[in-house]
Amino acid sequence: MKRFLVILFVTAILVGNAFANGKKEAAGSAAMSNAPTTITVWDWDPNFNGYAIKEAAAVYAKIHPNVTIDNVDIPTGIESKIEAGLQAGGQGLPDIALFQDFQIERFVKNYPGAFVDLKAAGVDYSQFAQYKVGPMTDGNKIYGIPFDTGSTGLWLRADMLKAIGLNPADYQKNMTWPEVIKLAETVKAKGGKPMFAVDTTNIDLFRIMVQSTGTQLFKADGTLDLNTPAVKQALTYIKQMNDEGLLYKAEGWNNWIAAFNNGDASGFVQALWIIGTLKTKPENAGKWMVVPTPSMVGIDGARNASNNGGSSWYVFSSSKNKATAVDFLKQTWATNTPAVNEFYNTILKGAGAMGTFLPSRNGSNYTAPDSYFYQSQPVYESFAKWMAEVPTLNYTPGYPAMVNSVRDAIQQLFAGKYTTVDQTIAGATQAYNQVTGN
Amino acid sequence: MDKKGSYYRYINNIGWIYVAPALLLYVGLLAYPILSSLYLVTQKWQGYSHKFIGLGNFARMFRDGLFWQALGHNFLFMAIQMPLMIFLALILAVILNQGIHRFRGTLRTFFFLPAVTSLVAYSVLFRIILQTNGLLNSFMMNLHLITQPIGWLNDPFWAKMTIVLALTWRWTGYNMVFFLVGLQNIDTQIYEAAEVDGASRLRQFFNITIPLLVPVILFSAVTSTNGTMQLFDEPNVLTWEGGPANATMTVALYIYRQAFVLNSDFGYASALSYVMVLISGLLAYLQIRFLRERS
Repeated sequence: MKRFLVILFVTAILVGNAFANGKKEAAGSAAMSNAPTTITVWDWDPNFNGYAIKEAAAVYAKIHPNVTIDNVDIPTGIESKIEAGLQAGGQGLPDIALFQDFQIERFVKNYPGAFVDLKAAGVDYSQFAQYKVGPMTDGNKIYGIPFDTGSTGLWLRADMLKAIGLNPADYQKNMTWPEVIKLAETVKAKGGKPMFAVDTTNIDLFRIMVQSTGTQLFKADGTLDLNTPAVKQALTYIKQMNDEGLLYKAEGWNNWIAAFNNGDASGFVQALWIIGTLKTKPENAGKWMVVPTPSMVGIDGARNASNNGGSSWYVFSSSKNKATAVDFLKQTWATNTPAVNEFYNTILKGAGAMGTFLPSRNGSNYTAPDSYFYQSQPVYESFAKWMAEVPTLNYTPGYPAMVNSVRDAIQQLFAGKYTTVDQTIAGATQAYNQVTGN
Repeated sequence: MDKKGSYYRYINNIGWIYVAPALLLYVGLLAYPILSSLYLVTQKWQGYSHKFIGLGNFARMFRDGLFWQALGHNFLFMAIQMPLMIFLALILAVILNQGIHRFRGTLRTFFFLPAVTSLVAYSVLFRIILQTNGLLNSFMMNLHLITQPIGWLNDPFWAKMTIVLALTWRWTGYNMVFFLVGLQNIDTQIYEAAEVDGASRLRQFFNITIPLLVPVILFSAVTSTNGTMQLFDEPNVLTWEGGPANATMTVALYIYRQAFVLNSDFGYASALSYVMVLISGLLAYLQIRFLRERS
């Protein structure tokens, strides 16, 4: 019996080793071949980034018909799934994943070596908008392929302004936040409805306000610093709008989308990637217009441009088809050829996905009038112009925790638990330090 | 020979072969993770890197206001939701057992159905019903029961009530089934005797049914305590990651967020898990002690 047990255990160990060795050998053979290969990609929006990667796959299929791109939609919790995979040494991870720009620094810092260095693989980063390259850089290594810009604007329902006797043309200019708040007060007084739709489960409005000044939320050493004039002013405006009932507060993304798509609110501040969502309501054609992001007042670097969101593609070191995955991204997103520029032009029109590959910006769709918008406004031309003015933001590894803390503090402000801006800042800072263990 | 015989008396060859697969699974999936998490507890963990900090994670826990707040919510949900649910389940069971004779099976299935619904699916449905411009608010506004929409998910107080409501909806029918079984084990002669003595239905319920069901009630209480300590899906999905402003944050959700959402800190998350297991165990022990004394 004892012998039987010994044999059982030895067999178990040998089988285990054989699996381990098999894995190592498979990981070693990373050179490109012409054999049929499948590259798996994780992203989260089939109408936006999922659509874009499928268009990229179509471009690549013309050069390498043996490669299949398998797009997997992960609607929620993509970072948690990736985190679990990284902890398991790469088990279950795809070859390529899309990361929000504000999430990637945490992964690069916490998981050194988890991503393939694409600079070493020959990607020319001078061809991309530089503010996108910062977050994906670590020393001499650059890990990502920039996908889209989050250039923002103030979206307004021109028809609703007209209905209460205002002239939309009066607002198609650079405005400050106090001017826009005045407009919202008029809209509320005459139309009876709050003008701004905000989602209380994110901090988009706050983030857009602060970033329009170029203010950083962290000090150079990585510690949180919310005691800045820009943060104070942003919270002051948010508090004022809440106190005056100018905000339509929606809980969660879908609820927020419903608020402006169904006409419960007549405006919001958001990036151009929301265009695809607006267009899901054909009955609103001809009603929306976009004007420059309102600027903050009396703060150095304040301007009428900001950024919200934007994401980039990364290749995992654990991928068995690294070379193919890198080549796919390089050939479709980062090479200056007519086919690639036409691809960028296509996804701009198809999904409102504006790339940050500079040579592609001469595409015909960038300047084309769009009949969906009020007076067929050529919206992409405006966003491309504003994108050039976006100040660089250094996210830091603590950014996701900061987002949560600030969101919670603003919710407390809305609930009346915090009554002043200083209290909100102190509450957010304390929560951040507690959660991160500082 | 004799010695060998006495040794083999304790080793049943065939028996070991039979239990080997289960034993291997147990060691691999339960014993190994538990032991290795003992190592995790002593580490400051961050992604791929970690360093030894001894009991530092526990020291951090004592300073971590959010953890205590989350633990408080667990106890709050337990204190409000459990009595409410057990009382409702008891009344439903009595009505189904004595009051109604037709459609009994259908009604039993109807009340039990929520317990087999997917946690996430029902959280999402509740969200659609309860959001500010959702069904419930529109309904109550149209009936002029309220003038302002209630922030079922937005307001710290109502969000907590929403969790209580959701838990009650899901688990009342489940506990009702235990009570039904318990009721069928009560001798009908006791009720007949009470009726002869002129005791009302209400009197019978409080003086016969409840005392005789105490063991089943305690069983429900122990399992519900355990379930409430591990509360996760409802605050994560229904009220957006324990919102608003952590008003519905629970310990299990906080542990998950420390490891997988915010900090990649698996060491701190493991330390908190140990504390949670300890508290659950202690509560179960107290309840079982109480149960033994009563019966």
